[in-house]
Amino acid sequence: MAATYDYAIVGNSAAAINACEAIRGVDREGSIILFGEEKYRCYSRPLISYLVAGQIESRGMYYRPSGFYRSMGVEFRKGTRVEEVHAARKTLTTDGKEKVKWRRLLLATGFKPFIPPVPGLEEIDYLTFVSWDDARRMLARTARPARVLIVGAGLIGMKAAEAARARGAAVTVVEKMERVLPQALDAEASRMVWERCREAGIDIVTGQGVAELESRGNGKGRAVLEDGGEMDFDLLVMAVGVRPRVELAEGAGLDCSRGIEVDGHQRTSLEGVYAAGDAVNAMDVVLGRPSINALWPVAALQGKYAGLNMAGKEVPYPGCNSMNAVEFFGLPVLSAGIVNPPDDGYEVISRRSDAGDYRKVVLRGEVLVGMLVAGRIERAGILTSLIQERANVRRVKNFLLEEAFGHIHLPRSVRQERITETAAGIMKAEAARDKGV
Amino acid sequence: MIRIVPREEYCIGCRLCEIHCIVQHSRSKNIIKAFKSERRPVKRVEVEEEGHVSFALQCRHCDEAPCVTACLSGAMQKDPRTGAVVNDPERCVGCWTCILVCPFGAVRRDEAEHKAVGKCDLCPDLEVPACVANCPNEALLMVEE
Ligand SMILES: Cc1cc2nc3c(=O)[nH]c(=O)nc-3n(C[C@H](O)[C@H](O)[C@H](O)COP(=O)(O)OP(=O)(O)OC[C@H]3O[C@@H](n4cnc5c(N)ncnc54)[C@H](O)[C@@H]3O)c2cc1C
Ligand code: SF4
Ligand code: SF4
Repeated sequence: MAATYDYAIVGNSAAAINACEAIRGVDREGSIILFGEEKYRCYSRPLISYLVAGQIESRGMYYRPSGFYRSMGVEFRKGTRVEEVHAARKTLTTDGKEKVKWRRLLLATGFKPFIPPVPGLEEIDYLTFVSWDDARRMLARTARPARVLIVGAGLIGMKAAEAARARGAAVTVVEKMERVLPQALDAEASRMVWERCREAGIDIVTGQGVAELESRGNGKGRAVLEDGGEMDFDLLVMAVGVRPRVELAEGAGLDCSRGIEVDGHQRTSLEGVYAAGDAVNAMDVVLGRPSINALWPVAALQGKYAGLNMAGKEVPYPGCNSMNAVEFFGLPVLSAGIVNPPDDGYEVISRRSDAGDYRKVVLRGEVLVGMLVAGRIERAGILTSLIQERANVRRVKNFLLEEAFGHIHLPRSVRQERITETAAGIMKAEAARDKGV
Repeated sequence: MIRIVPREEYCIGCRLCEIHCIVQHSRSKNIIKAFKSERRPVKRVEVEEEGHVSFALQCRHCDEAPCVTACLSGAMQKDPRTGAVVNDPERCVGCWTCILVCPFGAVRRDEAEHKAVGKCDLCPDLEVPACVANCPNEALLMVEE
């Protein structure tokens, strides 16, 4: 007889760990089993570039302290892949042929790199840059001076470029679009980042794809670009994009053409089965429709709400938006919501200060739907929160581009509510005190 | 847990809270040294001012803290004992995700250390946080919950 668990969780990253913690916040007793395919306890995936660059050591990779699973009362199956989920029987089977029964199941299977079909690619021992193991491989293969070719200038490609450059490698990035970080940034911020990268010695070729690859053995080779240009490399990193990792969900019978579909409570269409994280097509409050925002904070938030709902607390997922915090070679850039308006139904206001800082907000009617701040980023979170709240900003529009924009510019009642919301009891205490009670 | 509540009708925008916050988080805790000879710490409270209105604002130590959920490294945590949201500089990598999501603009960068340590820690070594203790007008209140 297979053992039965109140909760089974597949995945061991942002969504899974936050789900665990949320479940335990509600249910101290229920049994939890958690499966992670990778041979690590939970670590922070975005930190792999910091590790390669030598900014942190291995022990800095862990997302939670050692002893986490024990303290949470979680049975952790490290290095174990779940191969099959049978939703009707509420069972799952692992690659070690262990069979487990569950009452509630969370699919937090994350993303996988998308590998385009480039002629010659199969012959080359290339890298992706999405896991701790990938980081180890990059460290080993940049131990001696190397020419590194990175295909794709999205977040992962640029992080790989930064890391390889910190290792002393000669780095070239090839990107099909006309600019770097085309999704997270607008044209101006892209240019600013590009400038920094160029100063740091990274070569970036845009508007170009790799047409063909030719192996020279040991991972080395030559790339032929679409315009016929050629480039030799010692290490090739493929970073053109990521896709939801849905083979398990598909096998269980879920429609996953755009990622795992969930309702407002992170429930899938199968009874007792929940999903959270990069594998999921969940509500984007700015777009007003489900979208995949493959980002750590979004995965963590979804995990948290999935966990709460699995444990029986009926709370709707508040929704998220596309938001990015990046820094390249000393230039921090934060963005949230829509930074590249798709049509002219938006109002864009921006300013570049003498000091070189850049600030931009995007409005749809009177509602703030996007922001981007580069340089002095300190208070940009206030803008993010107004975007998330779909706030009408008509009365404060003239202040949005100011670095000092803050609660002082909001109507007094709004500001007081925001500031004291976290402490409902406080104002009462204060009122009592003012009355001399 | 304790919370700090600003009262804008009493604030005169003198910014003594900012100064005492800096001193309290300096190495020597001496006002002259903190401003003249040591590396000056980042202030963890900010006076917002527009026209005649001003008030001091620092981290709200949110119950459902967005910065804690969003933090990439796990450095930002809510202390279950004190309720304070604190950043562990050992683990912080300076990715600025907390700055991106904090609705109060309450996190600052420590650019020299490349850490997001510039946030209120409720002065764990003091009975009363330095900003509250040193506000001449009682425009900052400490409330025990
Ligand atoms: C280099 C890099 C830099 C990044 N930087 C940032 C950043 O700065 N900011 C940001 O917001 N985001 C960043 N991201 C994105 C962020 O890492 C992801 O959004 C986040 O990891 C998603 O978390 P998740 O829980 O959905 O799943 P994932 O992190 O994808 O983890 C899923 C886990 O599930 C496991 N798994 C899958 N299927 C099975 C199975 N069948 N059985 C057992 N285990 C399984 C996988 O092995 C994996 O460990 C970055 C990503 C990379 C690669
Ligand atoms: S830093 Fe901001 S989000 Fe985090 S607890 Fe403080 S006020 Fe809340
Ligand atoms: S800057 Fe530090 S505390 Fe803030 S989110 Fe990043 S790692 Fe966490």
